[in-house]
Amino acid sequence: MKQKWVKLLSGFGLLALTLAGCSKDKDEVSNEEELITTVSLRFQEIGTANVFVATFRDTDGEGGNPPSIDEIVLKPNANYSCSVELLNESVSPAEDITEEVQEEADDHELYFIPAGANITINRVDLDSKSLPVGLSSTWQTGAASTGTVRVVLKHKPGTKAAGDPVTKGETDIDLNFTTKLQ
Amino acid sequence: MVVAIRRILGILLLGLVVNSSQAQCILRFSGVVTDSDTRERLSGATVRIKDIRLEVKTDEQGRFLFEGLCPGSYNILITHIGCQPVESHIHLKDDLTQDFVLPHTHSELEEVVVVGATHKHGTAITEELKGRQLAATRGASLGESLRSISGVNVLQTGATIFKPVIHGLHSNRVLILNNGIRQESQQWGSEHAPEVDPYIANRLTVIKGASSIRYGSDAIGGVVLVEPRLLPAAPGLYGEINTAFFTNNRQGVLSGIIENNSAKHPAFAWRLQGTLKKGGNSRTPDYWLMNTGIEEYNFSAAAGWQQSHRGLELFYSNFNTRLGIFRGAHIGNVTDLETAIERGEPSEEIKSAPFSYTIDRPYQQVHHHLFKLKAHHTTGTAGKLNLVLSGQYNNRMEFDVKRFASSSDAPQLDLSISTVGTDLVWDHNNWNNFRGTIGVSGSFQLNDSYKQRVFIPNYRAWNGAVFWIEKWTKGKWMLEGGLRYDWRKLFDIENNNSERFADQQFSSVSGSLGGTYRWSPELTTTLNFSSAWRAPQINELYSDGLHHSSARIETGNPSLVPERANSWMLNMDYQPFRWRFDIGFYYKDISNFIYLAPDYPPVLTIRGAFPSFSFRQTDARLHGLDATVGYVLTAHWKAEAKASILRAWDKTADDWLIQMPADRYELGLQYEFGNAKHWQDSYVKLSGQQVMRQTRVPVTGNIEKPQPDGSIRMESDYAPPPPAYFLLNLEAGTKLFWGKQPIQLSLTATNLLNTAYRDYMNAFRYFAWETGRNIGLRIMLPLGKQH
Repeated sequence: MKQKWVKLLSGFGLLALTLAGCSKDKDEVSNEEELITTVSLRFQEIGTANVFVATFRDTDGEGGNPPSIDEIVLKPNANYSCSVELLNESVSPAEDITEEVQEEADDHELYFIPAGANITINRVDLDSKSLPVGLSSTWQTGAASTGTVRVVLKHKPGTKAAGDPVTKGETDIDLNFTTKLQ
Repeated sequence: MVVAIRRILGILLLGLVVNSSQAQCILRFSGVVTDSDTRERLSGATVRIKDIRLEVKTDEQGRFLFEGLCPGSYNILITHIGCQPVESHIHLKDDLTQDFVLPHTHSELEEVVVVGATHKHGTAITEELKGRQLAATRGASLGESLRSISGVNVLQTGATIFKPVIHGLHSNRVLILNNGIRQESQQWGSEHAPEVDPYIANRLTVIKGASSIRYGSDAIGGVVLVEPRLLPAAPGLYGEINTAFFTNNRQGVLSGIIENNSAKHPAFAWRLQGTLKKGGNSRTPDYWLMNTGIEEYNFSAAAGWQQSHRGLELFYSNFNTRLGIFRGAHIGNVTDLETAIERGEPSEEIKSAPFSYTIDRPYQQVHHHLFKLKAHHTTGTAGKLNLVLSGQYNNRMEFDVKRFASSSDAPQLDLSISTVGTDLVWDHNNWNNFRGTIGVSGSFQLNDSYKQRVFIPNYRAWNGAVFWIEKWTKGKWMLEGGLRYDWRKLFDIENNNSERFADQQFSSVSGSLGGTYRWSPELTTTLNFSSAWRAPQINELYSDGLHHSSARIETGNPSLVPERANSWMLNMDYQPFRWRFDIGFYYKDISNFIYLAPDYPPVLTIRGAFPSFSFRQTDARLHGLDATVGYVLTAHWKAEAKASILRAWDKTADDWLIQMPADRYELGLQYEFGNAKHWQDSYVKLSGQQVMRQTRVPVTGNIEKPQPDGSIRMESDYAPPPPAYFLLNLEAGTKLFWGKQPIQLSLTATNLLNTAYRDYMNAFRYFAWETGRNIGLRIMLPLGKQH
């Protein structure tokens, strides 16, 4: 009888080992998800060599350590061209997400919504259906003021249309940059 | 629709008139009672017709006879010392001869969980789903099947994911035993449905509260037992083919069983079982719910070898599912959620989606393997020793919407957990009116190698327990008491970035004490007290990150201590002539109740603000009432009313607890047709279900809600609980004879009036209506000789 239990137990041990073998290899892709960790707005004052960059950065993604966010500081009554750069800096080397938005421009749209700050923003780049993308824009600043600019990236697979409100689609980016015209 | 119901009622009434005009109380009901093991005829067995309180004893030849019965349907109870009682339902139209076979209490194939003779679960408060009731839920998921039991609700995530809630508690507080083995998966998630194929079971039992400590101390909410029928003991090849079709999501289910007991080696029996299921998008009264398809394929195999003093049983089950998650519930951040709530319904693109069987992202894909080996050996006349070894592997993959078409196809969440466990249990036979069980149990767990998104870390765990339960039965009394010690250690806790977390170790004692007193054959009361505890789980201790399905950031708390529940339950079962009252009260005090508390301010992420929650502890009080009242109007008509009422209070905050099921009432009217030559057991049941609005929610929270006057109010939820709703359901069944081949048919129509409603316990109530009318047809074909 005793022997039988021993046999059973050893059979069970074997099963345990088999099960342990089932669990997948640890070295496979781990902790790798397509994150957007970094949003950089690069401003070039038109006709000058003046460049200003404002960056939002959250390298560990949602939760965890808090992100850092710069203020946008521009001159009043000036014209800027703005280009947006999106990065995934959670991996090394950093991955450029801007290209992917560019490639799938038909499904993506960036919005710039100023509040309080005296700025007129126009998106200048267009997708294959001549709808705005927003990776490039012009910013025309007015009188000195302080407020915010909300930067939103929407993902609208197959549903992007002219005049979409900012509420349509799924949000990939939604940031408020404090903006000072001084 | 109303016309159709009137017509049905009309037919039913006509049936009643016709039948009652034939009613003459001259029928005879006779038969023979035998022992299933020895095949001996049992003398002195009691055969009782419960409905009319008639009782006879079998003679030396095991025969019994009732005379002068009226036509109608009756509930029969057959009892004999040393045998398990058998309940049966008969339909008398002509004289009836029916034999009964009583399983022996020492029947070798019984589950270890069977401790008692008359009260299988001792003084625990239980409710079962079996036979006709279970047949009417075939094709539904486990959680959905259980919701007809009073006191049991479901926590839903859209149309595809159902999680059982017992007395307001769920997830880690509810244990599921699949064929006697604790289901070990990622139970902590409210959108992680139990990985069990209900077709395995021929009985689903819910043990309410912690009234049974046999299965684990952490079952503060309750235990769900998924119990397969015993392997065939009589030689022959048997089988069963089940099919089910549903109109709402055009779902088809095919499930089969084949089992054999060989005449050459009567000790040996085996069974194979398998299920295939495929359903498409569900439909609300107005629109299709995009991407809510479901696919499932499961199989199980069992083999048993039984001799009079020892036996061996092997069981393996494999569960695989792919569940679509409603596309309209995918949100980027809190602003998206608020937009969706404000809109009140899915966006046009989502609403206009057609019916489809395609399951796209977001979806879940889950695999579960369970292996069990059970051996037992009698220890003289004193008792029986049982050894159970089990192994489980669970893999859960959650695929979210891809950010770019070019993004990788990998799942965003990929978790695997392996568990090996063993139980050594000794059941002792009657000794001075005592019967009992002493056991040790242990398990080792490996939650290994999550991939992609971090939500919970990897860990290993040891669990150990010893328990002793004794039951004393004498005369009208039954007393039961049990003690249990559990120990749990979590170690090697790390994330893939080689960040390590502190080990955690918990241990404590739980106990239960209960008494049942039978005042008369009609009235039994049970009082049960238990004190149980639950160690904080991995997500409560160390979760860190975005819980996508709930669009919130959850942060664990490594300094949590175990929670303890002290519960009282009082149950009354009273069955006077024509009436049946089954009324249960419960009162549960939970100290250090672990819950997700909202933090302020919300966490800033690249996608905007996310509400942030962290695990905290409070003292809670849950009490309520489960009641079922039945009345037999005539031999054909029966009425039943059910109520489930729960009050859940946070004693520290002096406020209601959030996300608790609202009060629910049900009223049913059933008509039983008499047996005809080719139709048996035919019935029609119309029931109405009223679910109240949950008004008992916390007054304040951390969610900023701008008011029309421009001020901001802090709310506990994004949207107020949905209004009360009423649903009408219809159920009909019959057993048809095609020659000698019986065919069981069951037809159900849920949400008959196609009511548009939302349920507070559905996480997707913010985004869409619940599903509309669903008509289900089930056909069951038993094959081979019936036993």
